[in-house]
Amino acid sequence: MLDDAEGKVLNAAIRVNTIIIAVAMGLLCGAILWSSTAILLLRGGPDVGAHLSLLSVFFPGYSVSWSGAWIGLLWGFVYGALSGIVLYWSYARTLHERLCELLVDSPAASTLTPPIFLFSGNGLGIGLGTLMALQLLLTTNWLVARGTASESNNAALLSQYLPGYTVSFSGSIVGALELFAVAFVASHVLAGIYNTVTRLRATRDMAAP
Amino acid sequence: MNAPASRPVQSPEVALEPYKVRNSKSMGDRGEWIVRSAFARFDLVALGIAMGCVGALCLWAATAVLLVKEAPSGVAVGPHLALLANFLPGYNVSWPGSIVGLFYGFLLGLGFGVLIAMVWNIAHHIYLVQAVTRRYFAGDL
Repeated sequence: MLDDAEGKVLNAAIRVNTIIIAVAMGLLCGAILWSSTAILLLRGGPDVGAHLSLLSVFFPGYSVSWSGAWIGLLWGFVYGALSGIVLYWSYARTLHERLCELLVDSPAASTLTPPIFLFSGNGLGIGLGTLMALQLLLTTNWLVARGTASESNNAALLSQYLPGYTVSFSGSIVGALELFAVAFVASHVLAGIYNTVTRLRATRDMAAP
Repeated sequence: MNAPASRPVQSPEVALEPYKVRNSKSMGDRGEWIVRSAFARFDLVALGIAMGCVGALCLWAATAVLLVKEAPSGVAVGPHLALLANFLPGYNVSWPGSIVGLFYGFLLGLGFGVLIAMVWNIAHHIYLVQAVTRRYFAGDL
């Protein structure tokens, strides 16, 4: 168990990490939305980006145009940063002091070269599952609240992957539960591969003269 | 938390190097251990490979689900997913297309994983350098 002072140090570190992951994911999502818009604009053609422009339902002001691309960059940053906060916060809260034990240390580790992070499949599953389920709940119920649920044919296509999902409150609950399960399994796969590769590389580094 | 002096505590996940700091009863050392472990870095290559594999699997599975479900004759399978061809040349909703998707999914996941790990590691490094510099000059870490 950590005492009060140690708990405060850990919580402060978690806060800093949350900001870092928020900035990283914000930049990534902003860049993805900007470049997706830019690719469509550069390719040109009639009715350019008819499907991507549907994002304006969730990101007011966004459109498939050059000015829309910059608005998309901002929205992408906000969306990515919020996602990063929910993901890391729920991951760190699930593990808390166990966060300090999932590590690979090596002789190279020093104050400026910290040990390497390992993933907890369950912690990541809960974090990613919560994030994706929340996103589906919020987006679906936003469509319901604005009264366009019956016209949301594209959103309804999710039922191809999430049986029982519909653009309705009850459908969003079913979809969110299924998405949580899918994200949980995917997180275990990701954690398993990452931890295996990390251990292999660390063992190889240890064996190197 | 504190192990017997004769048997050093090791990481429960991998036993590569004993956690010397954790064996100490000094509060300063324990604080440093918490800071160092909370600021652990990502293995850039491992995160790239792991996210690449998951990305490849996701895109392949998304295509395969549509292909297995099929569509009525005369109706295109997965016209919406096929729009990814705008960004991923050569991709389409077919079995050969799913293999192309496997490749693109890996490439995208690899890129995202490496980017996230790079930003994380660089930000932590800058933060730690600042903290160490502050401690060196002002002793206030």
